[in-house]
Parts: sequence; C-alpha cells; structure tokens
Amino acid sequence: MDLNVISINFKFMIGGLFLTFELALMTMGGGLLIGIILAMARLSLRPWLYYPATVYIHFFRGLPLILVIFWIYFLSPVITGKSLEAFPAAVISFIVFESAYFAEIIRSGVQSISRGQTMAAHASGLTAYQTARYVVLPQALRNMVPSLVTQSVIIFQDTSLAYVIGLREFLRRVNLVDAREARSVELYLFAGLVYFAICSAGSLASHRIEKQRERSYH
Amino acid sequence: MIKIKGLSLWYNKGFKALDNVTETIETGRTVVICGPSGSGKSSLLRCINGLEHFQEGEIFVDCLSVQDPKTDIHKLRSDIGMVFQHFELYPHMTAMQNITLAPIRVRQKPKREAEENAMELLKRVEIPEQALKYPEELSGGQKQRVAIARALAMEPKIMLFDEPTSALDPEMIKEVLEVMISLSRGGMTMIVVTHEMGFAREVADEIIFMSNGRIIEKGTNRSFFDHPKSERTRQFLSRILI
Repeated sequence: MDLNVISINFKFMIGGLFLTFELALMTMGGGLLIGIILAMARLSLRPWLYYPATVYIHFFRGLPLILVIFWIYFLSPVITGKSLEAFPAAVISFIVFESAYFAEIIRSGVQSISRGQTMAAHASGLTAYQTARYVVLPQALRNMVPSLVTQSVIIFQDTSLAYVIGLREFLRRVNLVDAREARSVELYLFAGLVYFAICSAGSLASHRIEKQRERSYH
Repeated sequence: MIKIKGLSLWYNKGFKALDNVTETIETGRTVVICGPSGSGKSSLLRCINGLEHFQEGEIFVDCLSVQDPKTDIHKLRSDIGMVFQHFELYPHMTAMQNITLAPIRVRQKPKREAEENAMELLKRVEIPEQALKYPEELSGGQKQRVAIARALAMEPKIMLFDEPTSALDPEMIKEVLEVMISLSRGGMTMIVVTHEMGFAREVADEIIFMSNGRIIEKGTNRSFFDHPKSERTRQFLSRILI
C-alpha cells in the first residue's frame, strides 16, 4: 500500500468530484421539473397528454442509461449538425433518462393523496391548477421525499457512467491517475470510500426526514 | 333556487346511480335526504356542484345550468359550500389556512381580511382557540366544525352536507348538529344527506327518501314521519328509528 499516490493526486481527483456534483445536481433539478410535467400528463384524462407521456416513460425506463448517453452523444450531431461537448451531452442524457424515473415517483406520490382532497378543493372553487399547486402537490411531495432521495443517490452513483463519452468526472480522473501510476488497489479503494461516504450521507438524511415525518405531519 | 330536471347518472360499467330525479329546492329551505346506502344520495349532491358528470337531465342553480360549457363552473362552485363525511381538511395546513385558502386564491381577498373573517367563523363554531392547530390535533367534532367554517368562508348561497356526522363519535355529533341547526335557522339554503332524524324533525322543511337512485317519497317534516306513504319508506324508518 502506498497512500502517497492519493495525496499527490488528491486535488486532481477531487476536482472531478465537482463535475460529478454539477452533473448530479443539474440532473436532479431538470429531471424533477420534467418529471413533474410528465407525471401531470400521465395523470391527465386527455389522451393527447396521457399517451405521449406514458410512452416516453415506458420507453426510457426500458433502456440502460449508458445507451441513452451514447445516443445523445453520437446522434445529436447527426440531427442538429453540431457536435455536442461531453458535459452538455451527459446533462441532456441524464435529464432525459432520469425524468422518466422521477415521473413515476411523482405519479405514485400524487395518487397516494385521496380523491376526497381533490374533491374538497374543487368544491371550494379552486381550479385544477390551484388544486395541484396548493392541495395535492405539497402533500404528495412530502410522501415522495424518501423515494426522491433514493433516486438522487442512484443518480449520483450513475454519473460515473459519463466516462464513456470522455467526461472527466471523479471516477474517470481516478482512472487516469491509475493509468499513469499503476496503483489500482489504493486508488479504487479510495474512490469507493468517497462514493460510499457521500451516498450514505444522502441515505442517512433521507432516513432522518422519514423519521421526522413519522413524528409529526408538519 | 335549485332545479333538478330528469337527472340520470351512470357510473362506468353501466351502474345507474341516479334514475330520472326531478326536484326543486327553494331558496332558504333546508332539505334532508335520507335512504339506504348506495341509493344515490351523495351522487345527487355531487351532481349539484358539478363534481360528478351526469349523462341525462339538467340542473339549474340560480338559473345557471351546471353542465352548460358556458357556465363558469369554478364561480358556481365557489358559491356552493360543501361538507364531507370524512372532513377532507387539508392535513398540511392549520385550521386557519384551511379556511383562508379559497377566499385568498379564488376570491382574491387580502390575507389579513381573510384571516379576520376566518377568526369570526371559528368563533361562530366555537373553536377560536384551535385556529393554529393542524387537523390531526383536532377531535372529529372540531374537524367537522372547521370544515363547516371553511365552507362558510366563501359566503355561499347554498350549503351541501354529505353525511356530516356519520364518521363522528356519538358525543361529538351534537356539537356539529348545533352549528347546522343555527345555520338553517339563519336562512341558509341547505341540502343535508343524513340519518340524523332528530335533526330532520327539528329543522327540515322537506324530507326526501331515496332508494336505488330514485326519489321514493318526499314530504314535509310532519307528514313524512307520521304518515309515510310508501311501504319502502315505512320499512326504512322503522329500521333507523328505534
């Protein structure tokens, strides 16, 4: 064991972690936003909203993420005529893919709210939008928090897949250092430790939120 | 005034929940609807404020046709208060927030004014001290009184009650009925689905008995209890009146 290899390259490797976080956070933000829209469309009674959203969700949930990354990276230049940089390509593929998962989490969260709540809101004259905004979504979001955190942890882990299009995120940088220093054992143990620490912090936070929710509703 | 003409409602799978119901309810009156479960009482209430889409017939609320696409259904609903069997208070809001949501969002009242008005209503239902509590901290009777205050906050012309005391413990029924009795005496137009025959005797101007989606019998307070015309009504009354 030679831990020097880690301390010497620490700055370079941790620098990749910023990119990892950036990718994960942008995916969560964009995925959540598009996920809400998809979920609303999927819950809609209008067929022209329901069917496209349902097809979209089933389609992307049936594909491996790595394939979607390849598609966006290699197909978008063919369609738009301009080649995409690795980072925007990764962000787009992640959002496209993860929004399908977020949509299903949100849909089941919304469906967990009883029909009586919607009825009471409608009966008081609130529009469909106001009912969603003030009555259904605040309650549904609260029910969804554990699943959303779990999904976010998965996204964080999955960012490492962006290495296939050459994105120099954390794992890719560890990989590069290893190619130069040939110290696989130390370097990959270190990488595992970093992922584990961050992901368990996320899971722990989720667990606490759940506990808090059990204690009181507000 | 509410005019119901030839109303029929089918739920999917062909179940006929309402069968050619015709009825007129004059302003300021209290009408009690009773009948066995599944007889279409609650469906009828939900048709009146457009929560249920019916296939045949027409309903006019103050001359506005409920299912006419030209009718502003949100405006119409905001003038009709509704109280539910299971309260349906919003669990993530305090009693105060439950009451002020629609006045602020639908009537565009300033928050301050809406809150002052809510406080008045909470005093009227005798629980001003519960204003900042969440529904889960309230007893069943208190929840239903908050729900009534929430409906009244929109200054409705009509109040619909869908079995308002059926989910309550016996000792809490009275406190809710008292609020409803004072509303009725105050001249509110009320349609109440209930099996509280004491309440019906006390304030109902008219009592309607429904079975299998039809109105079997209707009568004034006295005639309904003392001289029920149909056998079906007599059976029903003998079962619920000990």
